[in-house]
Amino acid sequence: MARKASPARLVIALSVAAVLAVFLLYTSIAGGGNPSIAPSELGTRTEKVQLAGLVVGPVRGDSHAGGLRFALRDIGGKHRTRVNVLYAGSVPDLFKVGRHIVIDGRLRNGVFVAEPGSMITKCPSKYAPKQDGGPA
Amino acid sequence: MAELGRAALLVTLGLVMYALVAGAAGAHLGRRRLALSAQNALVAAFFSTLVASAVLLGALLRHDFSFTYVARTTSEDLPTAYTISAFWGGQEGSLLLWLLVLTGFGAAAVRLNRGWARDLIVWVVPVFAAVAVFFAFLLVAVASPFVMQAAPADGAGMTPSLQNPYMLAHPPLLYLGYVGLTVPFAFCLGALLAGRPDERWLVATRRWTLFAWTALGIGQLLGAHWAYVEVGWGGYYAWDPVENAALMPWLAATAFLHSVMVQEKRGILRVWNVLLVILAFSLSLFGTFLTRSGVVNSIHSFTQSSIGPWFLAFIALTVAISLAVVFWRLPLLRSQTRLESPVSREAAFLYNNLLLLALCLTILWGVVYPLISEAVRGEAVVLGRAYYDFFLRIFGLPLLLLMGIGPLIAWRRASFASLVTTFRWPVLAALATGAALLVLGAGSSVPGLVAYTFSAFVAATIVMEFARGTRARKALGASSWPNAFFSLLGRNRRRYGGYVVHASIVLLAVGIAGSSAFDKAADAKLRPGESMAVGDYNLRYEALDERQTSNATEIRAQLAVSRGDRDLGTLEAGKNAYTVEQQLSNEVGIRSDPLTGEDLFVITEQIDPDGTVYFRVFVKPLVNLIWIAGLVFVMGSLIALWPDAREQRRLVERTREIGLPATR
Repeated sequence: MARKASPARLVIALSVAAVLAVFLLYTSIAGGGNPSIAPSELGTRTEKVQLAGLVVGPVRGDSHAGGLRFALRDIGGKHRTRVNVLYAGSVPDLFKVGRHIVIDGRLRNGVFVAEPGSMITKCPSKYAPKQDGGPA
Repeated sequence: MAELGRAALLVTLGLVMYALVAGAAGAHLGRRRLALSAQNALVAAFFSTLVASAVLLGALLRHDFSFTYVARTTSEDLPTAYTISAFWGGQEGSLLLWLLVLTGFGAAAVRLNRGWARDLIVWVVPVFAAVAVFFAFLLVAVASPFVMQAAPADGAGMTPSLQNPYMLAHPPLLYLGYVGLTVPFAFCLGALLAGRPDERWLVATRRWTLFAWTALGIGQLLGAHWAYVEVGWGGYYAWDPVENAALMPWLAATAFLHSVMVQEKRGILRVWNVLLVILAFSLSLFGTFLTRSGVVNSIHSFTQSSIGPWFLAFIALTVAISLAVVFWRLPLLRSQTRLESPVSREAAFLYNNLLLLALCLTILWGVVYPLISEAVRGEAVVLGRAYYDFFLRIFGLPLLLLMGIGPLIAWRRASFASLVTTFRWPVLAALATGAALLVLGAGSSVPGLVAYTFSAFVAATIVMEFARGTRARKALGASSWPNAFFSLLGRNRRRYGGYVVHASIVLLAVGIAGSSAFDKAADAKLRPGESMAVGDYNLRYEALDERQTSNATEIRAQLAVSRGDRDLGTLEAGKNAYTVEQQLSNEVGIRSDPLTGEDLFVITEQIDPDGTVYFRVFVKPLVNLIWIAGLVFVMGSLIALWPDAREQRRLVERTREIGLPATR
């Protein structure tokens, strides 16, 4: 069926093009986000990453004076690799040994230096049974 | 009792399977009695699901811990209200609630519309039944709420942060929204299968969609308010996958509610509407999948479970079958008319749709990006706040502007002269507001300033519309101005309810812009007697109190708040240490200014044994407008939802005039 080019099609085509342009603009300006990795995968990588792991003690220091020091290991626990973490800024209430946390930062001289205030703890599992010290 | 529940679910599964097969056969072969029996089976399935639900509710209320579900989600001393909320707290219970609402909505929607849309209904029934078969199957075979065990002495209880009034209303509202979107989906697919994709399915489901959309919107705002008041990190929305899961179908449904009007009025965008409904429904399934499968990292971690793959398969099947049906019926969906001009109301609605969809899809992209990047690069990459904030501005601000243009611009084709007369005053009002704000120093955030200016524009158009309409009613003989105003609302509830909802979105935009673009933050470590300043507030840390309650130790810092020379009283902020759960929770101090809608928000980050407290303080201008927006939103939705026999008749008449295909 021969149809005259409809403005609707033009509008949609232009909009799709505009969206793609905006998308490209964004990725070129802001980059593509951070890789989210487990402590065992950190190795000697020094770019900015998001680290998701299980808190292992001892937890020392003061997050508002000199920084909080603790270690992270993989959730699930096949790997025993530990990454030492230095963290400053606000600490969520649920932070403690045995919790799952997510932090942003990068490795410097063997210590993962987290961005201040980037720590997120996972809520204790909504309605799962209590587990002592285990993953929540 | 558990046997009764299990049996009731089995009966439900049988009934909906019958409704699916018999309904499809009856519709295909044109056998009325068979189709009717399928309809009745759907209604009966609602009642058997009701029986199963009653069994579960009874077990919860009796604290019958031989039900694994009851033991896992409640405990003996849990208050009754939260014991009831455990019904939708766990996975099995929430699936049961889903099935209950689904069969209930299905039965009601079919009953209400069978008089005037019988040829659609025969195909709507099997679609409803197909969705119900999936949920009934999950409940029977994969995640039964009626698994038994040797009863333990007490249940595991409920996490303290969920023992909260918000959790009574927030999850069921989201479920009502998710499930409610099944109604337009079933009618849409039913109309396509029946080969009658005229406007009747839109008329039949308009209120259902509106209801689902309202519930979803309120549910999300309640969740946001809960996060703000109870969780205490100083924000209300974190772009978390589970939050996004509810936002995406809401955005798709918003787009649908608008494009429906274009189809009703002008008969175009028919394929588009069908696709939007399929998208909205698939996204509501996807939301459940995200929440329950744990495939993406979320701060909300639910009990992870085995239903993930089932959901994924069902979503894939839904999308594939729906698209196949749409493709098959594409010739019937051809529009008679075309978009005439890119400057017209239908075009404005189209832009609005494209922006909403773009926002929805970028959010979807952000949510699944960790999975995609993991598959492609072998490493999950997470897109953070910056990504979402960027796109919210890029797509959200033009959307805000369109909200002022769409309702006023002429249908078909708007001339330049008419544009000038229509928008002269709103544009001037917006420019004046923008200039005034710039002088007052709002230039510190360009997106914030733009949001305010656009909001002023939309607000001006809404006020103008109400003023014009009221004047017209007065001229037509309303006895007084208030009378004229209310008769205006009553005459065209959908339109003026829509304006009220628009007003609420303006409030929301102003609240979000104010609290995120113009907020101030400060933190300091204070010893008793020391002070800190944030914005023009001054806070003096007076003392630390400790109180013992039945289940927690409450530690509270007392702060004397003042602004300039004025004493604003004391504010308390602190932490609760829950004895049994060994859990700390922040109890933030919030001082709302009733005049300006500004909040002073105090978090005690860290309390040292010597009484030193590390405070983090925010000043959030206009944040209370967000909550007020929620109330206005409900009001507007109610106005638009309120049954209006006259309007319904008019719509039915109009679809008659459009004419139905003469077959059958």
